[in-house]
Amino acid sequence: MKKLLALVLAVVMLVSMAAIASADELTSLNTYETQGRELETWNIHYSQAAADLNVLCNLFDGLLTNDNHGNLKLNAAKSYESPDGGKTWVFTLNEGMTWFDKDGEVQADVKASDWATGLEWVLNYAKNDSYNASMPMEMIVGAAEYYEYTKTLTDSEGADAVKALTTEGKFDELVGIDVDDEAGTITYHLVDALPYFPSVATYNCLYPLSAELIEQVGVDGYRDITWEDMWYNGAYVISYFENLNQKVLTKSPNYWNDANVKRFDTVTIKMVESVANAYQLYKAGELDHVSLDQATLQAIYSESADAEYKPYLVEARPTKYSYQMHLVYSKNKEDGTPDENWNLAVANENFRKSLYYGLDLTNYLARTNAINPLSCENYCYTGNGVAFTSDGTDYTVLVRNELGLDYDRTTYNRYDAEKAAQYKAAAIEELTAKGVTFPVEMDYYISGSSTVAAETAKVLSDIFSLCLGDDYVKLNTKTYISSLANEVRKPRLASFYINGWGADFADPVNFLGQETYNDSAAYYSNAYSNINDATDADLIAAYQEFTDLVVAAKAITDDMDARYAAFAKAEACFINHALAIPCSYEVAWELTKINNFSKVYSMYGMQAYRYVDWETSTEAYTTEQMEANAAAYAAE
Amino acid sequence: MVKYILKRLLQSLITVLLVLSVVFFLLRMMPSDYFFTEDELIKFTEEQKYAKLERLGLMEICKTCGGKGMVEDKACPNCREGDAASGTGYRNRSVFAQLGDFFYQMVEMRVFNAKGKEVKTATPVALPAYLSQKAGGTDPFEGTLKEGYSVRACFNLGKSIRLEKGQYVTDVIAQKMSVSMEIGLIALAISLVLGVVLGVLQARYKDGVFDHIGTGYTVVVNAVPRLVIYTVIMIAGSSLFALPMRYDATAANPDLTKVLPIVCLSMASTAGYMLWTRRYMVDELNKDYIRLAKLKGLSTRKVMFRHVLKNAFVPLAQYLPASVLLTVGGSLLVETFFSVPGMGPELTKAISRYDLNLVQGIVLLYATMGIMGVFLGDLLMTLIDPRIKLTGKGDVR
Repeated sequence: MKKLLALVLAVVMLVSMAAIASADELTSLNTYETQGRELETWNIHYSQAAADLNVLCNLFDGLLTNDNHGNLKLNAAKSYESPDGGKTWVFTLNEGMTWFDKDGEVQADVKASDWATGLEWVLNYAKNDSYNASMPMEMIVGAAEYYEYTKTLTDSEGADAVKALTTEGKFDELVGIDVDDEAGTITYHLVDALPYFPSVATYNCLYPLSAELIEQVGVDGYRDITWEDMWYNGAYVISYFENLNQKVLTKSPNYWNDANVKRFDTVTIKMVESVANAYQLYKAGELDHVSLDQATLQAIYSESADAEYKPYLVEARPTKYSYQMHLVYSKNKEDGTPDENWNLAVANENFRKSLYYGLDLTNYLARTNAINPLSCENYCYTGNGVAFTSDGTDYTVLVRNELGLDYDRTTYNRYDAEKAAQYKAAAIEELTAKGVTFPVEMDYYISGSSTVAAETAKVLSDIFSLCLGDDYVKLNTKTYISSLANEVRKPRLASFYINGWGADFADPVNFLGQETYNDSAAYYSNAYSNINDATDADLIAAYQEFTDLVVAAKAITDDMDARYAAFAKAEACFINHALAIPCSYEVAWELTKINNFSKVYSMYGMQAYRYVDWETSTEAYTTEQMEANAAAYAAE
Repeated sequence: MVKYILKRLLQSLITVLLVLSVVFFLLRMMPSDYFFTEDELIKFTEEQKYAKLERLGLMEICKTCGGKGMVEDKACPNCREGDAASGTGYRNRSVFAQLGDFFYQMVEMRVFNAKGKEVKTATPVALPAYLSQKAGGTDPFEGTLKEGYSVRACFNLGKSIRLEKGQYVTDVIAQKMSVSMEIGLIALAISLVLGVVLGVLQARYKDGVFDHIGTGYTVVVNAVPRLVIYTVIMIAGSSLFALPMRYDATAANPDLTKVLPIVCLSMASTAGYMLWTRRYMVDELNKDYIRLAKLKGLSTRKVMFRHVLKNAFVPLAQYLPASVLLTVGGSLLVETFFSVPGMGPELTKAISRYDLNLVQGIVLLYATMGIMGVFLGDLLMTLIDPRIKLTGKGDVR
């Protein structure tokens, strides 16, 4: 029977693949963004925003990129190595790379020294306003010192004097980067052995910059550079841009890697008012793909509207953001006084574990993915696809093995009513003794202008009520006007936040390092959980245990498998103490003429939107065809 | 009259400056974290935040500690927050100093290289020297300007800090304004002609079928939410007439992509002109001089157009200059819906992203246009109806 099923599946796949093969590929791509995600700067060094980098990653080539499986892939560099186990990294450039203008006219050769010029720009306080400076400052020898030097000099000598600095002099003296234009090598000297450093080379903080361009347009001119004046070295140039209307990327005529990279003739990014508007454009044939909002998806799926699209519904791949329920350990009431009831409750491990085991989030996940809610389930803190062991195992598998949880896509595995009831009973007993009153009020904040968020919060509220009981906890949904950070986080008004984190480089430390105790660089510890202000000894001990495990894992730099195993233990410790509760991934549904499995699949950094090597079809992919694509991808 | 005009212009200038100053101060009363995106708040270090605020001119490096936060191994008393172990290294800048800079930069000069690319700005202090010395053939920048460089004075309102980062506000406004004005003026012309003609016909056939249809149209246009109407027009225009669903200057026929936005824009104002033309004409039709004209045997056509419309149009005419001038502002809804790259969404987007300079620039433009519109409307009324006097005793407007 199994053989027969396998045969049928294989035949279906072959037929599907044949159908795809018979369809022509798109030569030009029409895609979209909503108007709230318009690009704000063309200066790739001067941006940390995804809306900018999603476009700019197509216009510039960095040393490395990613392939469709998330592996590092050579790009401007033809090879890279570390001669000393990760403290020094040497990248060797391809020959024949050039800088060109928007018309494709060659302006200069791409040289190894362009990477030094780029790094000097990033680290120069007067030039780049500290954008993208933090990662090089943490990792590269002398980078922090050079940054401080430029900052001090700005104050004493004025900005113009600091803007005049180049890679010669103080930068050369202080910063651990050696370039050899003849040999085409760039050598980075790091403050510590960092085995994941090559993944940092996919990020814009280590992108090249031509000194000749700066000579031509000036420092201020480069900071405010436009698509018409800048030099490109990537797969596409911009041939048209109208803010909030559209931008057209045309394949670079003088691209060094033309022979090895499949590109569209043009990629037109249309700015649309809303996803609903994009859907109308897709129906009119003006777009080649569209992500569906829940109302449209359910209408198509239930065949109550546009039923002809139902055979073409395909599930998108997860985005890079891993969502967590971040608990707040030092919360205030609206009058500014500490919310002792909540602070005592959340410090109790039994209380936290009752939430961890007691919430069946399936209906909540259905708000993102109504058809297959469990596609969005997330039991780990670190996102999928960030790091892999030597045998290709995803790091999060190690974490789930530690936790004893798996994604079977049929039930919400973490939910355990029996355990939750035990923890609830224990929490009530312990907390009542401490004077905590029940139900414990939990304040959850959403944007007041979002009806979608309000509907989702209602679902979450129902889950809390149904799973944990109104006598135990009460979820109060409250709203903020325009800024969660200013109106909620700063005054510490929320009991928890549901927030997504996407990595910048390929190492679990990029996730777990945000939660360590007593660490000024740990973002979530300082800005969300406020753990450093907590006073409960057991809670602090749990955080300290986790932090010690992270520090120990960070120290392992010569054996990546051992490093990941150690991080997995740390992450499991964090989750087992329910210090934060893993929540969801974003997996939407769409109509598309693009094989999602051919795209760059990078769960960190900025390479995911490169329009290269995409497989497409002039006809939209059917559900079966995309499933065949997925099967073929898994078999690769 | 000249005295009156000069007086009104002076009053207008003062009003605009007051509006601008109030907006300037209000924008700077916002907490500093509003100047960062949620993304930036997550990823930026404190140092980055201060650096950005410094560049925006909202903060400055602390003079006491030189940005180090420490003075002789102690927290700098000038930039320390609460009981922190060290100062931040930055201090808030005086808002009056910021306002001074804002007006000062209006006369700043832009320096261009030989290829016509802007390379720097120069302070206005150098302007007189530049102008006089350029005439004498010497370089007022003492060799800092290279051969082939040129200097141009400009009305500098600063650069956009978010929406179009680094672009001059005046350039952004000029570019957007032209797009909005183009479709706005066409829509205004259509709605004016259609609205007035249909309003006249409604008045002429008052309580007839045509009047009821016209009233029904006006009610529907005003009662049904605009986005619903736009969606219907977009889908109908696309499916029935194969019209493009969004503005696209790169399309094979760009003018065709403007049709739906223009239809949507003119739809509401047509209803407005119909409504008011009908109302004023019906008012006039009941007056004695019209009855007398009819009794004297004037044809209905002559009565309607030569007498009734002429008088009924006076109150409408007052708002015409403002309508024309305010086309520069575009339409928030229509331009957002059809992705028209005009001025419509610019102010709300600039406010929501705290793009200070752009907000100030747009407020300046809108205030100027609004005030000038009222002023020109008053002048136009005196031209159309000589009985109206703007000066003199008793009936001064």
